[in-house]
Amino acid sequence: MSKDLNMKVNVLPVTTYNFLHVNDGRLEIKDINLQTGDAPKAKAVPAGVTLKENVPFEEAGEVFRANKDRILSLKETMVSPNCETAARDESQAIRTGMGADVDKLFSEIGGTCDVYTVDEDAKVEEPIVLRQDLTDGFGGINSQVIHAKKGSEVTVVMAYTSEKAAGGFLGVSTRLLAEDGATINLVKVQILGDGFVHFDDIGGACLKSGRINLTALELGGKEIFNGAYINLSEKEASFYSNLGYLSRDDHKLDMNYVADQRGKKTDASMQFKGVLMGTAQKTLRDTLDFKTGSSGSVGDEQEDALLLSEDVVNRTMPVILCQEEDVEGRHGATIGQLGEDLLFYMQCRGIDEEEAKRIMIKARLESVARLIPDPAIKQLVLYYIQQIV
Amino acid sequence: MSDNKQIVADIDHSLYDFKDIENEKDFYRMEEGLTRETVLKVSEEKNDPEWMRDFRLECLKLYNEIQMPNWGPSIEGLDMDKISSYVRHKSDMKGKWEDVPEDIKNTFEKLGIPQAERESLAGVGAQYDSELVYHNVKDEVAAQGVVYTDLESALRSEYADMIKSHFMKLVPPTDHKFAALHGAVWSGGSFVYVPKNVKVEIPLQSYFRLNAAGAGQFEHTLIIVDEGADLHFIEGCSAPKYNVANLHAGCVELYVAKNARLRYSTIENWSKNMYNLNTKRALVEENGIMEWVSGSFGSHTSYLYPMTILKGAGSKMEFTGITFAGKGQNLDTGAKVVHQGERTTSVINTKSISKDGGIGTYRSSVTIQSTAKKAKASVSCDSLMLDSISRADTIPGMDIRTSDADVGHEAKIGRISDEAIFYLMSRGISEEDAKAMIVSGFANPVSKELPLEYAVEMNNLIKLEMSGNG
Repeated sequence: MSKDLNMKVNVLPVTTYNFLHVNDGRLEIKDINLQTGDAPKAKAVPAGVTLKENVPFEEAGEVFRANKDRILSLKETMVSPNCETAARDESQAIRTGMGADVDKLFSEIGGTCDVYTVDEDAKVEEPIVLRQDLTDGFGGINSQVIHAKKGSEVTVVMAYTSEKAAGGFLGVSTRLLAEDGATINLVKVQILGDGFVHFDDIGGACLKSGRINLTALELGGKEIFNGAYINLSEKEASFYSNLGYLSRDDHKLDMNYVADQRGKKTDASMQFKGVLMGTAQKTLRDTLDFKTGSSGSVGDEQEDALLLSEDVVNRTMPVILCQEEDVEGRHGATIGQLGEDLLFYMQCRGIDEEEAKRIMIKARLESVARLIPDPAIKQLVLYYIQQIV
Repeated sequence: MSDNKQIVADIDHSLYDFKDIENEKDFYRMEEGLTRETVLKVSEEKNDPEWMRDFRLECLKLYNEIQMPNWGPSIEGLDMDKISSYVRHKSDMKGKWEDVPEDIKNTFEKLGIPQAERESLAGVGAQYDSELVYHNVKDEVAAQGVVYTDLESALRSEYADMIKSHFMKLVPPTDHKFAALHGAVWSGGSFVYVPKNVKVEIPLQSYFRLNAAGAGQFEHTLIIVDEGADLHFIEGCSAPKYNVANLHAGCVELYVAKNARLRYSTIENWSKNMYNLNTKRALVEENGIMEWVSGSFGSHTSYLYPMTILKGAGSKMEFTGITFAGKGQNLDTGAKVVHQGERTTSVINTKSISKDGGIGTYRSSVTIQSTAKKAKASVSCDSLMLDSISRADTIPGMDIRTSDADVGHEAKIGRISDEAIFYLMSRGISEEDAKAMIVSGFANPVSKELPLEYAVEMNNLIKLEMSGNG
C-alpha cells in the first residue's frame, strides 16, 4: 500500500510560545510503501505468557477501555492548566506519547497488534525478545499490547536494526498495562540505517503498586519520533525511564515523555542522556503532571545533553504541571560541551580532547546500554557505539 | 486569624482599593470599542506627528489581522467592545505637585508617591488612567543631562528623532496581537535618556494608576541608557477593583548601551479584574548589564515575560521575579532571553506561590544563537503550593544552537515542609503566621533586590495575600 503520511505527533501537554517550535512534531513522508503484519515474533513465548497474534488494533485496546475508570480516576476539583491539549487524544484507548494520529494510522490501514498477557503472579524470568532486522526499502508498522496481570513481572526487549546504509520506514506502537503489583520491564533499541524514518509510540498505565521500567536507546535513523505517556493511576504506581540517544549528521530526533501522576505516593523518574553531532536536531519534551489526589508523589526529570558540533540544534521543554500540594517535583538539565574542568582532568592524565570526547560519548550511552538484559542485543549496541565513536 | 493580622489586612486593602468618582465635568472618556475612528481620535487628542498617526493606523490593521495567542491563560473575558481605550482627567500634566487636581493628588498621596519622591527618588512620573498628571525630576539629576519626561512632550522636543528611531523597534507591532493594540492606542508613559557615563545614584519611578472602570491603559516606557551610564528605574502600578474587565497593555522598551547598566524594578498590584497583557523588552550592547526585579501580585490574568536580547559581546542579564497567584487569579509570568553575542551571560531566578485556587505558571525561553560562543545561561525556578485547589505549572523552554555554551536549568515544585511549621509552632507562633513567615522567607531572594521601601511593600502584599484579603 502506497501512502502519504502527514501526522501531528508529540503534542506538548500544554502549548507554549510558537517561536520555540516545540508545541508538536510533524511526521511527513510521501509515497511510502506501507505493509502491516510484519510484527517481530519471539522465538518462543515463555511459560506464564499468552500470545494472541494479529488482533485488530482497536480491539487490542479493549483491555484499557475496560479499566478506564481506574486508569483515569480523578477528583472533581481538577482545574486544567492553561491551554491543555489532552482533548485531542481522548479517542485513544490509552493515551500515548505521540498521540491520536498514530492510532488513526493503525486504524486506517487495518494495522494489527500482538497481545502478550502475563498470568497473575507469574514471574517471567526469560525476557521476551522481539527483534526486527530490516532490509533497505522496508515500509511497515506493527503494534504490541503487553498486559501484566496482578503480581506478575515480565521483561520485553524490542530491537530494530538494519544495515547502516539502509533506508525505509518503520512505525511501532506499544501499549502497556501493569495491574496491581505487576512490573513491566520494556527495553527498546533502535539501530536503523541512515535512511530510515522511524516512530516508536508508547502508552501505558500502572494500577496499584504497578510499575513500568523503560530502557530505550535511539542510536540510528534519519528521522526519529518517539514518545511515552504513562499513567500512574493508583497508589504507589511507578515509572522509571532511562533513555540514551545519539543523533548525528543531519538526523532529527523528536521526543515527548509524560508521567501522569494521579495516585497517591506515585514515583516517576525520567533520565535522558544524549549526544548531538554534525547538524543533528533534537527536541525533547518531558513532563511531570501531578494531578489532584497525587499526594505524597515524587517526580524527577533529568537531562544531560552533550553537544559536540557547532551546528547542532538542541530544544528542551522540561515541564512540571502541578495541582497537588503534597508533592515534590524536580527538573534538572545540563546542556553543553565537555566542561573545561573535566577536559583539564583528562588532559592531565594524557588524554587529548578527541579521546576525552569519545570516552564521554561512550560513558553516556553505555550507562543505558548496560541495562539491556539480552546479551546478544547488548553486545550489538556496544559494538555499534564503538563503531560510531 | 489573629487580631494583628486583621489590622494588617484592612490597612493594606484600603491602600489600593479606593476609587475616585469619574464625572463628566472633570473626565473625558472615549467611547468603548476599537475602530479606525477611535484610533484617529486618540491620535488627535495626543496631537501626534503625522508619522505616528499613520503608525497607529497600521497597528490597528495588524491588530485586526493577528490571531489571539494559542497558548497561555484564557482571555475570553476580555471584550474590546467594552473597553474604553482613552480616559483622561481634563487637567493638563503638572510639574508641581500642588498644581495636580485635588482628587488625583489625594489618590497618589494615599499611595505614598509624593512621600517616596521626597525621601528616596530622583524623579517621579505619575500616570492616572491614560495620561500623565505629574512629572518631575530633581534639579541635580536634570543638571547631569538626564532626561525624564512624558513621551508625548519628548515627541515634540529635540529628542523627537531619537524617539522615532527607537519607538516600537524593539517590540514591533507584529510581535503579537496586544503589541499591535498598544501601537494603535498607546497613551502616556515616560521617556528617559541617561547620557554617556552618567550614574544616576537614586532611582527614578513611574507609578501607573488606572481608576476608570472598563478602561484600558496603554502607556509606553522608552528608556535609553547611553554608554557607561547607570540607572535604576522603578515601576509601580495599582487600580481599584471593579466588576468589569480592565485592560493593561503597556509596552516597555529598554536600550542598554555599551558598558551601561539598567535595573528595572516592578511591583505590580493591579486589581483582580485586570487583564495584564504587558510587553517588556531590553536590548543590551557590549558589556552592558540588564537587571530585572519583578513582583507580580495583582491582576485577574497576566501574560508577562520581560525579554532581554544580549546582543553585545560580554553583555549580561539577571532576572529575579516572584509571582503570587491567589483566589481567582491566573498569572502566567516568567522571562525570555536571547543570547546573540559572545560570552553573554543570563541568570533567571524565579519564585512562584499559588494559593486559594490561584493558577501560577512560570513560562520562559532561553535561546542561544549560533553566534553566542561561550554563552552561559542558568535558570532556577521554585514553586510553592499552599493547597491542593491551586495550580503551579512550570513551562520553561530552551533552544540551543551552539555546542560552545553552558546551559543549566533546575526547577522544583513543592510544599511548605511540616517540619518547618512544627519548628515555628513549637516556639509559640500560630500555624498561619508560621506559613506567612516561611512564604516571606521563600520570597526573600526577590525582596532583598528591592530598595527598602519597596521590599516592605512587597512583604505587606505577601502578608495580605496570605491572610486571604488580597
